[in-house]
Amino acid sequence: MKLYDYILSPSCYKVRLLAALTGTQLTLRPVDFHPGGEHLSPALLALNPAGSIPILEDGELVLTESSAMLVYIAAKAAPEWLGSGDPAESAQIQQWLSFSHRLTASLGGARLVEMLLRPGDLAALQASGVKALRELEAALAVQRMKGDIFLTGSKPTVADIACFPYVALAPDGSIALDPYPSIRLWLRAVRALDGFIEMPGIHRLHELKPEPAKETA
Amino acid sequence: MFPNNWCKWTPVALSADVPAGTVIPAWTPTGDVALWRSQSGQLSASSDRCPHRGMRLSHGFVRGEALACIYHGWSYGRDGACLRIPAHPDLQPPASINTRNQITTEREGIVWVVNEAQDEPPPSFDGYWPLRSMTFQASIAALEAAAGAKADISGLIRCTLGGETAFLLAVTKGEAETIVHVLADKNASLAQRIAISQAGEQLRRDAESADALEGAN
Ligand code: FES
Repeated sequence: MKLYDYILSPSCYKVRLLAALTGTQLTLRPVDFHPGGEHLSPALLALNPAGSIPILEDGELVLTESSAMLVYIAAKAAPEWLGSGDPAESAQIQQWLSFSHRLTASLGGARLVEMLLRPGDLAALQASGVKALRELEAALAVQRMKGDIFLTGSKPTVADIACFPYVALAPDGSIALDPYPSIRLWLRAVRALDGFIEMPGIHRLHELKPEPAKETA
Repeated sequence: MFPNNWCKWTPVALSADVPAGTVIPAWTPTGDVALWRSQSGQLSASSDRCPHRGMRLSHGFVRGEALACIYHGWSYGRDGACLRIPAHPDLQPPASINTRNQITTEREGIVWVVNEAQDEPPPSFDGYWPLRSMTFQASIAALEAAAGAKADISGLIRCTLGGETAFLLAVTKGEAETIVHVLADKNASLAQRIAISQAGEQLRRDAESADALEGAN
């Protein structure tokens, strides 16, 4: 599987993260998104006329939506990441995958304005980002009342991976995560997963790393 | 609201939102704090500014019985004393480097903080247990108007949420920002707790639009 990838893109990171968590091998093909704008080159537009990344190629198959890539990787390598198959749970997972695109548009939009100085109405993007975070916080608070920590149960699914990166990076768009205690614990639970990988701005739990040894002269 | 003439303690968080080995940001009238619980379960409220270069300690991490700063790794103990400076492992940090911890106590699932010793413990709310903490972009007056109830002499707001009796502990963070800890009957069923939580979302929408209307006048 070949992933057209940009290291600072949270959507590309979703795919790398699920691949790492499921032990799926990816061949990374770096795209010069910024400043080169390579995603708009004729070669990449031929693959994805929408001009977005990531793009995932597997033989004849070309996927251009990150949620579809997550579903594909999970179905191929680790179907437990698609839930138990219960109809209500499957539908909820689909609902969170759709919700994740609202996070991309709002939190991700604010981040592009702040970090890459793209044009946009920052205040409006932040306001819709806060609205989405409040919805997520309310849903996760209910999950905790039921004794669960992830979006649809006690085990993580593609829904958690789809929502995780833009939420974790919300401060890049000057949106504070301080008011959301359940989101904070959910972010921790994802960062603590076996096989978790980092991206710039998202780190594994430091406390799980060994304490640096005392230097000896 | 809290603190008040009878209660100098500020309710800052729910015990469940700061499990062992974690640190969270919290607010008190005497400053932002990094509220952290050591591996053995002991709570501390450190000033949320690292004595080294001012990084927020709530962005740091807990290792064992110490809080470590994310920036250069200086670590601090429960008494606020600096324990270790990784860049100078053989140096005994001077006693003047201290995170000036406030006093914390926990009562029935709520964490309270105060900056000087008190004769009285914080209040207890017989038969009630905290459900969630929420941040309202609204004044206390707007909260009271939306709840249809004023704080009683002890500072507590009793109201009906989702058809159930609920207690609100409100803390004024700024002119138009209020932190609200929602308490529900200890014996409330899961369905009742979910109903109260959802009604809390509506309460926030009402309080915030009440403030917005006032602003428009
Ligand atoms: S700012 Fe905290 S260790 Fe340097």
